[in-house]
Amino acid sequence: MLSILKSEWFKLRKSKIFGILLVGPLIGLGAGIGADTAEAAGMINEWYMLLVYMNLPYSVLFLPLVTGVLASLVCRYEHQAGGWKQLLALPVTRGKVFAAKYVLTLLLVLLIQLFYLAAILVAGLYKGVADPFPAAIVWKSILGGWVATFPLVALQLWMSVWFKSFAAPFAVNVVFTLPSILAMNSEKVGPYYPWAQPFAMMYPATDTGDIFFIPWEQLLTVIGGFFILFYLGGYFYFQRKAV
Amino acid sequence: MMGQLLAAEFMKIKRKGIWFLTFLGPIGVVAMQMVNYGVRKDYLFGQNEDRWGYYLDNIHSFTPLAIVLGIVILTSFMSSIENETNAWKQLIALPVSKMSVYLSKFTVLLVLLLTSSVLLMLFTLAFGLSLDLGREIPYAGLLRYSFYPFLAALPVLALQLWVATVSVNQGVPITLGILGVILTYAGFTLPDWLIWKWPLLLNEWNEPLINVLLGVGAGLLLYAAGMLDFARRDVK
Repeated sequence: MLSILKSEWFKLRKSKIFGILLVGPLIGLGAGIGADTAEAAGMINEWYMLLVYMNLPYSVLFLPLVTGVLASLVCRYEHQAGGWKQLLALPVTRGKVFAAKYVLTLLLVLLIQLFYLAAILVAGLYKGVADPFPAAIVWKSILGGWVATFPLVALQLWMSVWFKSFAAPFAVNVVFTLPSILAMNSEKVGPYYPWAQPFAMMYPATDTGDIFFIPWEQLLTVIGGFFILFYLGGYFYFQRKAV
Repeated sequence: MMGQLLAAEFMKIKRKGIWFLTFLGPIGVVAMQMVNYGVRKDYLFGQNEDRWGYYLDNIHSFTPLAIVLGIVILTSFMSSIENETNAWKQLIALPVSKMSVYLSKFTVLLVLLLTSSVLLMLFTLAFGLSLDLGREIPYAGLLRYSFYPFLAALPVLALQLWVATVSVNQGVPITLGILGVILTYAGFTLPDWLIWKWPLLLNEWNEPLINVLLGVGAGLLLYAAGMLDFARRDVK
C-alpha cells in the first residue's frame, strides 16, 4: 500500500501541483489583508473576525471546488495513453489503487489547509492583531474543514476515474457546489447538504446559540454517511471499469 | 473555410454533454430562485415594493457565478477534444490556418453562451410570470440582466480559452477558473479593473453599460492576444 502511495506521489510531483496548492491559501490571505476587522476590536477577539472574513471565499467555493481539480490530477497520468492498463497490470489490486489515490488526494487537501493556517497567521501578523490567538478554535476550523471534504473527494475521485476530461468531473462539482450558497443559509437543508459542510465546519462558532453552529454528531453522520456512499460508489465503479 | 470549420466543431461537441450543460446553466440559475421563492415567498415579497425588480436582482445574484463557471467548463471541454487524443497535429495538418481554427472554437463558445443567455431570459420571464409579481413587466431590465453579464464576461471567455488551449494540463485553466469565480463571488469588495468583477455589472459610476463596453473591448484584445499566441506556438 505504501509503495503504491509513493508511486502515486512520484507521478504527481512535477505536474504544477504546488502552484495549484497555493492558490487557495493566497485567496484567503488576500481576503484577510483586505478585511476590515477593526470594527470588532474590543468586542470580540479580532482573530474570529479575521477568520470569518477569510473563510467566506475560501470555504464556500474554493475548498469544495479544488477537491475536484486534485482528484482529476491524480488520475491524469492513467487517462493518458493507456495508463490504466499499465498500472493495473502491476501486481496491485484495484481496491488498493483506488484507496491510494483517495489517500493522496486527502493529504493534498490537508496540505492546502495547513498553508491556509499559515495564511491566517500571516494576515493576523500583518494587521497586527493583538488579541490572544484562539488556537483551539482555529485548529477545529482547519481540521474540521479537512474532514468535511472527505465525502466530496470520494465523489470527485469516482467522477475522475469515470471521465477522461477535467471538465466533466468539474461540471458535476460545480452543479453541486453552487447551491450550497443557498443551502448554507437554510437551517433545514444546510446541515444535511454535503457541499455546505466545509463552510459549516470551518465557521469559528463557540456559542451554541449561533445560527451557524451545528452539532458535531449530526455533522459526522452526514459527512460519514455521504463519505461511505460516495467511496463505495467509486470503489465498485472502479472494480468493474473496463480499462 | 470558416463555415466548414464551424460545422466540424459543432459535430465534435455532439453527444459530449456540452449542449446539456448549456441548457443546465440557465435552468440552474432560475431553479435556485424557484427554491428561494418556494421556501420564503412572502418574506421576499415583503422585502421590496418593486417585486419584479427584486426578483431580477435575485436571479442576477447567481448569473455571474454561473457564467464564469460555465465559461471555465466549456473552454476546457473545447480544448480537451483535441488535447485528450493528441489531435491538435491532425487538425492543424488540414489545409486550414491556425487562426481560423482558434476563431472557430471561439465562435462555437459564443454561440453556446448566447444560447444560454436567451434561455436565461425565457426561463426568467416564465417563472416570473408564474409568481404574480405585478402587471408591469420590466422588459428592459429583463434584457439587461440576461445579456449584459454575458457581454461583460467576454474577457474571461477569451482568457480561459487562451489558457485552456495552450495548457497540456487542464488542471491549470480550471484552477485559474476557480480563482476567477471567487473574485466574482467577492467582487463587490474588489476594485473595478478586475475582469471577473464585470459580470456583476457593478462599477463606481453605477452604469452597467460601461461593463458591457469594457467587456467587449477587453474581450477583443484578449482574444487577439490568445489567437496570436496560439498561432505562434508549436503544436505537440
